[in-house]
Amino acid sequence: MIELVVQGAVLTGLVIAAVLIIHFRDLLSAAVAFGIFSFLLSLEFYILQAPDVAIAEAGIGAGLTTAIFVMAIRGTQRMEEVEE
Amino acid sequence: MKNLVIGATVLILCLGILYVGVGLEFGVPLFTDMDEYFVSHGQEQTGGNNIVTDIVFDFRGFDTLGEATVLFTAVLGAGLVFRKRGEDEEYEYE
Amino acid sequence: MNMSKIVREAANLLFPFILVFGFYIVLHGHLTPGGGFQGGAVIATGFVLLFVAYSYPQITERIGVGALHNTETLGLLLFIVTALIALGFGVTFFTNWMLDIGPILNNPVAFGPNPGDLNTAGVIPVMNIAVGIEVLGALSVIVLYMMSGTKETI
Repeated sequence: MIELVVQGAVLTGLVIAAVLIIHFRDLLSAAVAFGIFSFLLSLEFYILQAPDVAIAEAGIGAGLTTAIFVMAIRGTQRMEEVEE
Repeated sequence: MKNLVIGATVLILCLGILYVGVGLEFGVPLFTDMDEYFVSHGQEQTGGNNIVTDIVFDFRGFDTLGEATVLFTAVLGAGLVFRKRGEDEEYEYE
Repeated sequence: MNMSKIVREAANLLFPFILVFGFYIVLHGHLTPGGGFQGGAVIATGFVLLFVAYSYPQITERIGVGALHNTETLGLLLFIVTALIALGFGVTFFTNWMLDIGPILNNPVAFGPNPGDLNTAGVIPVMNIAVGIEVLGALSVIVLYMMSGTKETI
């Protein structure tokens, strides 16, 4: 029962983080939301008893990809352009 | 014509997934002889306690060799794209 | 251009702990969940944290691109050579030759769940270390290449 509650909370957090990634106009906030999404995904992998995939997802998804996004934002511009 | 081909392909894929999905319960993988062999013999044949690592580095060593080669090739490609260009070398980004 | 002083100090503080955790995952790859690829990815995350916090010229005067590239090549060579040595003992490629011949890494292991012993599993820990340093070099040097391509305006 407690496992079901934790899994439901993690899945709800995944959906919220995914919606936030699209919603943010500030690209740095979107990158951080993507990091949170990856972290929750690795937590979900751990709950589903795949600790190897969880470690790889936490390292690559939450660490490396977010860092690459931050570098790209530092090289270009922070706010998303609104096309009318 | 093109849309027809794409639609037929998607339809066949969906039917195939449904056909496999109806027969199998969620979370109950197919039982095969190889699983049983790895679980019962892997620990004594390779000496490692972590069966996943035993399979990745011992039983399926060639897969890991291919993965390492893919990573090496990715680094070569990234180094080729972001190499230092000379002053006289002409290039432009599209 | 640097990030703020808070980010730099936090990166300096966190870097050794991430390194220790990554090497723990690599060295205990044959006992606990994880292995070469996962541990190498965690160590590369620590390096990339430093890359994000500092600017490109400051990074390249401490850590050379060539050094990371050589680390990656060394890992791949160690992996292939460990597999090739098996041919010298008259068994096939990728055979676990250390279990039968080598004086180290061949303690007997009990069947079933047990705490485990580091001194087991023959050739698997060596290959874990090889893949670990290969992934560490590869992922770090890819990010460093990408960093060299951006003009930092902010």
